[in-house]
Amino acid sequence: MTGYIIRRLLQFIPVVIVATLIVYAMVFLMPGDPIRALSGDRPMSEQVQDRLREQYNLNDPFLIQYGKYMWGVFTQGDFGTTFQGRPVLDIIQQGLPVTLTLAAVAFCFQAIIGAIAGILAAVYKDSFIDRFVQVSLVVAVALPTLAIAFLLQLTFGLNLGWFPIAGTRDGMVSYILPGIVLAAVSTGIVARMLRSELIEALQSDYVRTATAKGMKRSRVVTRHGLRNSLIPVVTFLGADLATMMGGAIVVESVFNMPGLGGQVFRSIQAQENTIVVGIVTLMVLFYVVVNLLVDLLYAVLDPRIRYE
Amino acid sequence: MALVLSACGNGAEEGAADTQPADGGGVISTYTCEPQNLQPGNNTENCGSRVLQQLFTGLTEVDYDTYEAQPAMAVDWHTEDQVQWTFELSEEYTFHNGDPVTAQSFVDTWNWVVDPDNAQATANFHDKFLGYEDVVNGDAEEMEGVRAVDDYTLEIELVEPFGQLPIVLTYNGFYPMPEVAFEDMDAFQRSPIGNGRYQMDGEWVHDSEINMDRYEDWPGENPGEPERIEWRIYNDIETAYLDVQAGELDILGEVPPSRIGQIEDDFGDNYSQNESSRFVYIGLPTYQQEWEDVNVRRALSMAMDREEINEQIFQGAMTPAYGILPPILPMSRNDACEYCEFDPEQAAELYEEAGGPTEFTVYTDIGTGHDEYVEAIANQWISHLPVEDITFQSLEFAQYLDLHDSREVTGPYRLGWLLAYPSAQYAMEPLYSTGAASNNAEYSSEDFDDAIAEANSADAEEADELYQAAEDHLLEDLPVLPLFFQDYFIVHTDRVDNVYSDLSSYVRVEDVRVLED
Repeated sequence: MTGYIIRRLLQFIPVVIVATLIVYAMVFLMPGDPIRALSGDRPMSEQVQDRLREQYNLNDPFLIQYGKYMWGVFTQGDFGTTFQGRPVLDIIQQGLPVTLTLAAVAFCFQAIIGAIAGILAAVYKDSFIDRFVQVSLVVAVALPTLAIAFLLQLTFGLNLGWFPIAGTRDGMVSYILPGIVLAAVSTGIVARMLRSELIEALQSDYVRTATAKGMKRSRVVTRHGLRNSLIPVVTFLGADLATMMGGAIVVESVFNMPGLGGQVFRSIQAQENTIVVGIVTLMVLFYVVVNLLVDLLYAVLDPRIRYE
Repeated sequence: MALVLSACGNGAEEGAADTQPADGGGVISTYTCEPQNLQPGNNTENCGSRVLQQLFTGLTEVDYDTYEAQPAMAVDWHTEDQVQWTFELSEEYTFHNGDPVTAQSFVDTWNWVVDPDNAQATANFHDKFLGYEDVVNGDAEEMEGVRAVDDYTLEIELVEPFGQLPIVLTYNGFYPMPEVAFEDMDAFQRSPIGNGRYQMDGEWVHDSEINMDRYEDWPGENPGEPERIEWRIYNDIETAYLDVQAGELDILGEVPPSRIGQIEDDFGDNYSQNESSRFVYIGLPTYQQEWEDVNVRRALSMAMDREEINEQIFQGAMTPAYGILPPILPMSRNDACEYCEFDPEQAAELYEEAGGPTEFTVYTDIGTGHDEYVEAIANQWISHLPVEDITFQSLEFAQYLDLHDSREVTGPYRLGWLLAYPSAQYAMEPLYSTGAASNNAEYSSEDFDDAIAEANSADAEEADELYQAAEDHLLEDLPVLPLFFQDYFIVHTDRVDNVYSDLSSYVRVEDVRVLED
């Protein structure tokens, strides 16, 4: 087990290097001069522009720029600064808690609501509950994220006034609407996945045996049915937690949350390579760590799976 | 001749005197976007500028009734020849940390801003000061033309006569900074220490908020009305609009275009339409052979129905432009442009005679609604002129600017211009004088250059007519076709009153009254 984890951790190194290189290259290749764009239609003097290009190594060829940046990261822990001199680490420090909280809230919604809906639909298959769950999930999956966001903002924020429309000023309450929006699509997928897996499991021989032995229905469903249906769902949830970083870009913008998603979007537009690479590296690391955890969780769920 | 401008009281503020709100003025929350930075010398964008205006007081400030310079930190100023200027400073101003603001503060700040090592975005606003070139080229440490005679007398010597200096000095690039700023600028801009009506409360919380309290030791004549201003930072104005509706945000000064149609239903009386100096124009690359002929440009202008575009595309939310100078400035005229009147027959004739191109490309930057009105204009050209086909090219802003800088634009293009300070000089010189930084049309006219130079050298009273004369050259030659001046819509909650915006589209938050709290 330990050997397996160490091997997986070592694999992170090439993944991070390749990912940062690709991201750096993509931002580098974007047309237009970021320094020229910085001041919009009111250009700065040539001397000032030259000084900034020099300061941020923008005159160097691509690989040198990338090399200088990575050298700073690994030798001094220096993730660079924005064109305005703000350290990237500072930005990450401020944005990360917001994005993580948002992801955690969304994750809870999709895991809990998705699981409850899926189990109910499976246990009461073909009943009204099942149909209701199925229809509402199709709606949740089909509606564009932006539409759900505006709908919730208008209904629960503006008209009913139950939740803040935007920002993070009201603490955890502020995360509820954006959390729901971020979770909407995945909740539907989790529930449908769990429903079909559980229905299949409940029809299997070992469940019939357990029922025949007189085990309580609730115990049969949770201990025998559910446990065997969870592996694909956990895989999905894990992968989804990682992709939430992408969804956060839209949700954080609409709900005006000062997280990393909105930041990375604005930084790409401004071609601020240092921030983009810093944040994306973090997202990549998050993704691979979550995947590792998911793999380890398999062993817990299914004792037949062993890692050497 | 001595030039002394008296402080004209702002009408809105006078009204405020007899309905003084209780509790010392109350608290308002108002919209802004995330500033690039909060260094006065380094900020040329809206998000930060309007915040800095509350934290700092310059030598002069804008009188929002007349758009002239009125005394602020400078109580008086003199010049004989528009080259040598003497400013007498008030002795009462202090920075928010208690340090006095002296003539030396201005000298040090301006030299620091111009120093190329500090790479400040507003450095070139100082280019008329004697010695600017030397400092920029590294031949001198300090500008020769900026001198503190004593603690409260500042002398400025220019490289050429420039009567607009007092109004130029209202710009945030000329605000004084305290000594602590130069020691650690990054620390300074987390919580800028200025000398303005308001002082920072806590640090700038990036992407969230900037809070400021009224600085009670501010000695000026019209201190801020609200006791506290909370700037809420939004990256999406749609969200801010909803927050004003819900009462979470008091003021939004830039209603999104998509909401203008429903604004009355949503806000009743709590909205206003405000003129601004944002000039949106169709430029023509006069460096390309097809657009060299002035008659081609005139024909394009006469084939544009500006009223129809305003009605059809903007539901009347803009001010159609019939000149280069913003109508908000007192010297602007709306009947000076002979070739801006819609006259399709004559336009077609003129275009035909001049041999205007039958096919060309129109350029825009990608952004809210730009494509829509540019396409509408192209359609008007196709239907009124012997033009067969127009193709469009939309580019990201950075790429768009690159294309302009490398002079590769082949057809009409959209661009905008917002005044940094309310002077006719700034509406024209940076855009149309030969070789100017923002002269994307590469227009070059000796007559115009001479006219601008003459107007610049005149004192403020005589300048208006001379700037009009300069504008006449532009309206004859039409290097750019005036399209519209953008109006800004403000919405606000019931609890605030006297909400208006200035020519830069900034809500004058210091004048806002809180009705109840």
